[in-house]
Amino acid sequence: MSNNDTEAFIDINESSELRREVRAWLQDNVPSGWREAMTGVDQEAFVQLQREWFGKLSQAGYATPHWPEGWPGGGRSLAEQKIIYEEVARADAPRLILYFVALYHAACTLMECGTPAQQEKYLPGILNGEIWCQGFSEPNAGSDLASLKTRAERRGDKYIINGQKTWSTMAQYADRCLLLCRTDNSGPPQAGLTYLLLNMKAPGVSVVPIHQITGDDEFAEIFFDDVEVSVDDLVGVEGNGWAVAQATLASERGLTLVELSQRMRYSLTMLADALKDAGKLDDTALRREFGEVISKVDACCALADQYLLKRISGDEQVGDASLVKLCYAQTLRAFTKLGRRISGLKGQFDPDFMRGATQETGHWTLDFMNSYNWSIAGGSNEIQRNIISERMLGMPREPKTWKLDGGRA
Amino acid sequence: MSEMNEYLNELSASARQVMDGEGTAAPEQTLWPLTVELGWLLTAVPEALDGLGLGVQGACALQTELGRGLGQAPFLAASLAVDALVHSDLNADTKAEMLGRFTTGELATAPLADVSDLAISEDQSTLGGTLSAVPSVDNATELLLWVADRVLLISLDQPGVAWRARTTWDTTRRLFDVTLHDLPMAQQTLLAQGESARALIARLEVQRDLGLAADAIGAAGGLLDLTIEHLQTREQFGRPLALFQALKHRCADIKTLLAAAEALLADSLTLIGDDLSTPQAQLQAKKTKLIACDHFATLAEEALQLHGGIGMASEHNCHLFLKRAMLNEHLGSGDGDYRLDIAERFLAG
Repeated sequence: MSNNDTEAFIDINESSELRREVRAWLQDNVPSGWREAMTGVDQEAFVQLQREWFGKLSQAGYATPHWPEGWPGGGRSLAEQKIIYEEVARADAPRLILYFVALYHAACTLMECGTPAQQEKYLPGILNGEIWCQGFSEPNAGSDLASLKTRAERRGDKYIINGQKTWSTMAQYADRCLLLCRTDNSGPPQAGLTYLLLNMKAPGVSVVPIHQITGDDEFAEIFFDDVEVSVDDLVGVEGNGWAVAQATLASERGLTLVELSQRMRYSLTMLADALKDAGKLDDTALRREFGEVISKVDACCALADQYLLKRISGDEQVGDASLVKLCYAQTLRAFTKLGRRISGLKGQFDPDFMRGATQETGHWTLDFMNSYNWSIAGGSNEIQRNIISERMLGMPREPKTWKLDGGRA
Repeated sequence: MSEMNEYLNELSASARQVMDGEGTAAPEQTLWPLTVELGWLLTAVPEALDGLGLGVQGACALQTELGRGLGQAPFLAASLAVDALVHSDLNADTKAEMLGRFTTGELATAPLADVSDLAISEDQSTLGGTLSAVPSVDNATELLLWVADRVLLISLDQPGVAWRARTTWDTTRRLFDVTLHDLPMAQQTLLAQGESARALIARLEVQRDLGLAADAIGAAGGLLDLTIEHLQTREQFGRPLALFQALKHRCADIKTLLAAAEALLADSLTLIGDDLSTPQAQLQAKKTKLIACDHFATLAEEALQLHGGIGMASEHNCHLFLKRAMLNEHLGSGDGDYRLDIAERFLAG
C-alpha cells in the first residue's frame, strides 16, 4: 500500500479527479433528509438506514478503499482514503457506525494476522454486510485492558468461553465478535491473552443493551456461558492475543479522526445557527468564544491531517496518535459546551433523539454528553496523557507496585 | 515541495545551533549583528532580488528559533520592512539600493501592534500621530508604517519625529512609542498607494501574524523542554517530580496544545503559499496567531506553576518565557479582536 501512497499524495488537493468523482457520487446518493428521518425513531429504523447506506457505499466501492487491491473498491492509497473520508464528512453522510468494526477492525485483523482459510471464510461475508462487534472491554478491564478475565478453555478442537464483555458497539445486531480472552493466568497480564473469532448466534451468547445517559443504546454487554469456538477460529497463536489486538486497534490508521474533525468543522455552521436562533448574534462575549472555537477546530483538523500525512510518509512517532485523540476529545468538548451555553434554557428541554448523528445533532446538551464517547472510549484522555508524557516527553512510567497506607494492598 | 522542506529543515537546524550558541535571551547588541551577518533578512527575499527565495515559510522557520531562544533581535519588524520594500512600487534601482541597506546592517523597524492613531491631514500634506510597540527604534534609521491606503518608509532622523522607550514586563524585547508631528508627506518615501497599498498592507499583516505565531510556538517548545527537564531533575518526597501523574498529565496537555498550534501554523503556511494578500490568507493568519499565542500563554502559565518556587525567582529563565507569552497575546491586533474578527468573518459567510 505504501508504494502508491507517496505518488497519490501529490493529487490530494481540491481539484483531484477522485475528489470530484466522490463528491458527485455523494451528492446523488446521500439519503436526503436522513437527519430528520432518524429523529424520534426506534433503533430498528436506524439499523435499516445503516444497511441501505452500507449497500450503496459498498456497491460504489467507497466502503472498502482500505482493502488490498483485488477486493471490490480496494487498493486505494492512504491519501485517496483521506479524500474519500473528507468528502463523506463534507457531504454530511451518515457514519457507518454499524459496519465500522467489520470493515476496519475485523477485516484488517484478518488480513494481517488471519490464515488464508479464515480470510476466505470471513472476508466475503463482511462485503455482504455481515456485522461484527468487538469483545475487548470488560467491567473490570477498561483502561487496564490487559487485566481482562473472560476465560477460554481448550477442550479438544474447541475453546469453551465463559465471561462477560461490555461497551461493545452495536453488539445486539452483530453476527460475529472479535474476542480477546484469557487462556493463561500464570504470567504477566498481557501474556496469557488469546484472540478468537466468535459466532454471536452460537448457543450461550446473550446480549444486553446498555442504556446510556443520552437515551441511546448503541453499546451492549455480551455474556458468554459455555460458548464453543472452534480452534480454526483462533487468530495468531494461543497466548499472542495482545499483539493481534494491537493490530486491530491500529487498523483505522488515523482516518477516523480526520473524518470526525472535518465533521466538526462542517458543523461550525450549527453553532452560527444556534447564535441566530437564540437571538444572541450581538452577544460580544459569545462571539469571541465562537471565534476561539472556530480556530481550535481548525487546529484540530490540521493536527489530524498532519498525523495522517506522517503515516503516509512513514514519519509517525510513538504518541502522535495520542496527541490527535486527546486534541479531538478536548476540542469536541469545547465545541459542544459552547453550543450548550448558547442554547440556554431551551437546550435543556429534551428533544426527540436523533440517531446516528454522532455529536453534531445541534441538540447541544445531547451533543455535549455524547462528546464523552471520545474522551473515554478508545483509550481515555487519561490513558492518552500517560502515553504522551511517558513515551513522547520521556517522563517516568507509573510504578507497577503500590500499597495504600493503613495496610490494604 | 520536499526540496523546499529539506531547505527549511536545514535552515531551522542551523538557526537552532546559532541560538543555542548565543544562550537564552541573547541581547540585541550581539544577536542582531549576528543575524544580519548570517543573512537571515535575505531568507524571504525572492531569488530575483538576490535573496534565498524561501518566502514567509523561511522567515517563520527562523522566527521559531528566535522565539525558542527568546532572542532580542528585532527580526520580525525588520523582515516586515524588507518585505514591504520587495513588494513596493519603487523603481528597480531604488528598491535594490534600499534592500541592500536594510538586509546588511541598517535597521528599518515596524510596529508590531495595531495600536495607533496615525492620520494624514485633510489636505493630504502632512502625517501625524502615535505608533505603539515599535521594536528597537533607537537602533533604527527608518520606520515602516501604513496609514489609510498608503505604505510609507519614513526616516527617524527628521524634525517632528520623537520616540519614547516603554519598559515592558517582557525584557526580551525593547518596544517604543513613536510620535510623528506634522511630517510633510512629500518628503516621505511612498512604497505603495491605493490598491497596491491595500494589498501590501494585507500582506504585511499576514506576515506579522504568522511571525508572532512562529515566535510563540518556538518559545513554547523551548519552555516545555525546560519544564520537563526541571521535573526530571527536581526531587521531592524522595522521587523525581516527573513521576507524579498529576504533573505528567498536565505536561501532556500542554504538549497537546503545542502540537495543535504547530500543526495549524504548518497547515496555514502551506495553504497560504505565496498568496499573502487574500482575505483567506488574512483569516488563516489570524486563526494561527490566536491559537499559537493563546496556547503559548496557557503553556507558560502552567509551566511556571510546574516549576514551583524557582519559577518565581528571577534567577531562573521560566519567567522570561511567561512574560514573552503575555506580550505576544497582545501584539498584532490584540487577543480579543482576533476572536471577534474570526467569528465575524465566519458569520458573514
